[in-house]
Amino acid sequence: MATENISMTKSTSRFVLTLRGIWKGLQELAELIFASPTAVIGLVVVLAWVFVAIFAPLITTYSPLEQDYKNINQKPTAAHVLGTDNLGRDVWTRVAYGARTILSLGPISVFVAFLIGLALGLPAGYYQGWVDELIMRILDALMAFPTILLYMIIISAVGASPFNVVIAIAIGGAPGIARLVRALTMDIRTREYVAAAKLRGDSDIMIMLREILPNSRGPLIVDFLLRIGYAAFYIGTLGFLGLGLPPPTPDWGGMVQEGHGRMSANIWPVLSATMAIVTLVIGLNMFADGLREESMRYQ
Amino acid sequence: MARYIVRRLLTMLLTMILVSMLVFAIVEIAPGNVARNILGAYATPEQEASMSRQLGLTRPVSIRYISWLFGSDWQAKGEIGLPMAQIISEQGLVKNAREWWAVAPNGEHLQWTVEEGKLYKLVLLADGNTEKILDESSWKAGEDGDEYFWGVDTANRAAKWVKGSKDIEYRLDYSGWVESTGAPVEYIPLSKGLIRGDAGVSLRYQAPVSEVIGRRILNSFILAALAIVVSIPTAVILGLIAGLNEGKLIDRIISIGGLITAGSPDFATGILLIMVFAIWLKVLPGAAVFTSADALWKNPNLLVLPVLTASLVEIGYVLRITRSSVVEVMNSPYVRTAILKGLTYRQVVTRHVLRNAMMAPITVIMLHVNWFIGGLVVVESVFGYPGLGSFILNAALFKDVYSIEAGAMVLILLAVGTQLIADLIYSLVNPRIRYS
Repeated sequence: MATENISMTKSTSRFVLTLRGIWKGLQELAELIFASPTAVIGLVVVLAWVFVAIFAPLITTYSPLEQDYKNINQKPTAAHVLGTDNLGRDVWTRVAYGARTILSLGPISVFVAFLIGLALGLPAGYYQGWVDELIMRILDALMAFPTILLYMIIISAVGASPFNVVIAIAIGGAPGIARLVRALTMDIRTREYVAAAKLRGDSDIMIMLREILPNSRGPLIVDFLLRIGYAAFYIGTLGFLGLGLPPPTPDWGGMVQEGHGRMSANIWPVLSATMAIVTLVIGLNMFADGLREESMRYQ
Repeated sequence: MARYIVRRLLTMLLTMILVSMLVFAIVEIAPGNVARNILGAYATPEQEASMSRQLGLTRPVSIRYISWLFGSDWQAKGEIGLPMAQIISEQGLVKNAREWWAVAPNGEHLQWTVEEGKLYKLVLLADGNTEKILDESSWKAGEDGDEYFWGVDTANRAAKWVKGSKDIEYRLDYSGWVESTGAPVEYIPLSKGLIRGDAGVSLRYQAPVSEVIGRRILNSFILAALAIVVSIPTAVILGLIAGLNEGKLIDRIISIGGLITAGSPDFATGILLIMVFAIWLKVLPGAAVFTSADALWKNPNLLVLPVLTASLVEIGYVLRITRSSVVEVMNSPYVRTAILKGLTYRQVVTRHVLRNAMMAPITVIMLHVNWFIGGLVVVESVFGYPGLGSFILNAALFKDVYSIEAGAMVLILLAVGTQLIADLIYSLVNPRIRYS
C-alpha cells in the first residue's frame, strides 16, 4: 500500500512540468477567469493594450520620436487623433509605443522578482531554522521601506535606465513573494509526496523545484498576475517622478512628467498618458482581483 | 501585554539597524560614488581622489557606517588627544554653520592649518575671529622617522599632516577649485552622527540636513493627518452604505468608484484633479508651493487638492474592504438570528453589523501604513508640496546623499513607529487577539 502510493506520486509529480501539465494549468486558469465577470472585463482592457503594444507600428502613422516644429501643441485633429506635444510629436503614437514600454518592463520585472523571491523563500521554508531566521530578518527590513522610497534610493544610486527600473522593482517585490513562497513551502514540505521524494534520495534542490514549486503554482500564478498590476503602477509612478526611463523614450509616466507643467497650454499629452495608465492599471487589478476571489472560492 | 510591547520594540530596533545598513549600502556603496556625485562629470582623477580622501570615503566601509550613525568626533578625540566641540558660527556665508574645534585644557578653541610647510594654530577669539600662531613645536615623531600632527582643520575635519608633504588638496569653493599644497594624508570628517541628530550638511541646500528636515516633517504630518481625517470616516460610511445595499444600484456606483480610485496611481489621480479644479474650473491652486513659512495658514486652499488626492486612493481601498466585510457579516448566522428574533433593522446594524464588520477595515488600515506613506511621497511631488516626501525625491534627483540617507531613515522610522502604534491600538480594540 505504502509503496504503491510512493510510485504513484512519483509518476505524477515527475510530469507536472511537461506540456500536458502546462496545458492543464492553462485550462484551469481559463475556467477561473470566465467564472468572474470582473476578471473578464479586466482581461479585455488589458488585451486591448497588449494589442496596441504589439501592433503599435501598424496602428500609428508617425514615429514616436519624430518631431514636427510646425505642428506643436495641437489639439486633436484628423492628422493627430490625440494632438501633438510641445515638440510636435504625435501623442497617440507615443501612447501606443509607451504601451510597449510598460507592458514589457512590467512582466519582466515581476519575473525577476519571482526568481529572487523563489531563491529566498524556498530554502527559508524548506530548511527553516537559522537559514529561515536570517532570510526573514533581512526581508522584514526591506519590507519596512515604503516601496516608493526603496525605488527612489535605488534609482538615485544606480541611475535611471530600463535595466535599473527592472532591478529596483524586482528588489521591491521580492520580499513579498519570498514570504508567500516560504509559507507555501512550509505547508507543502509536510506532505507525503515530499517524504516519498526524500525516501527515494532526491536532493533538496530537486525536491524544492520538482515537488514543492509545481504544487504551489496556483497561488503563485495569481500573485504573479496581481504583481504585474503593481509593477505597472510603479513604473508609471517612477516615470512621473523623473526616475523612470530617460527621455525621449515613450513612457506614460514620463509623458505626464514632461507635460504637467504646461497643462494650461496643452492638456492632451498629459490627459492621454494619464488615462492610458489608469485604464491599464485598473484593468490589470480587476483581472487579478477577480481571479483571486474566484480561486479563493475554489479553495 | 507589557512583554509583547517590549518584544515588539526589540524587533523594531533590530529592523531599524538592518534598515540603516541597507540605506547606507544602497546610497554609498552603489556605483557612481559620492565624490563623483558632488564634483560632477568634469573633475580630474586627482581632484576626485583628493575629494574622496577629504570626505573620508577612503576609510573602511564599516568605520564609515559607524561614523554616519554614531558620529566621528570620539574617533578624532582618540587621535588628537583633545575633546571636540561643535559650535554654531554666525560668520561666514552659510547661515548657522556648525564648526568643529578642539578644546585645549585651558578652554581655548583650536584649529590648525599648514601653510608653506609650517604648522599654524588658530585660536578662536571672543568676537568670532581667530588668531593665527606658529605652532611648529607640535609636530610629533612618527614611527618611520616622519614628523606628523593630528589636529582639526578649518573645514570641520580631523586631519593628519605629515611634515614636508607635497600633496595637493583640491577643494571646491564658491569661486571654483582651490588648490593648496601640504595636504593632510588622512582625514576624519567630523560629525555627531545621525542618532545624535547630526545628519551632515545637505549638498543641495548648503545647510545642515537636520535643520531643513524639521519643517518638512511637520508639513507632511499636517497633510497626512488631514488625509486620514477626511478619508477613513468617508470610506467607512460609503462602504457601509454599499455593503448594506449589496447588489443595488447605489452599491454598484460606490463599488466601481472605489475600484477606480483605489486602482489609479496617486500621481494620475492628482493630475486629473488638477485638470478639473485648477485648469478647467479654476477654483483651486494646482500647486502647493509655499512662498513663505506660514503660507499654509494664510491660504489653506493650497491644501485642498493634495489632501483630496491622498484621500481618494485611501477611500477607494478602505471602502472596498469595509463593503466586503459588511456583506460577509450581513450573511452570517448571528445577524439572521438577530433579525429573526425581531430586532429592528437599525438595531441589527448598530449592534451586530457595525462592530463585527469594523475589524477588517481596521486590520487593513494597519497593514496599509507603508503604502499610505509611499502615496504621500508621490502626492507631495505632484503638487510640489514641501513635505518630507518631496524633500527625499529632490535629494534623490540631485544625488544629495546625506539628505537621502537622513530623509529615508526618518521616513522609515515614522513608518515602523506608526505600524507599532497601530498594532498596539489594534490589540486594545480587538479583544479576540491574545499575546503569548
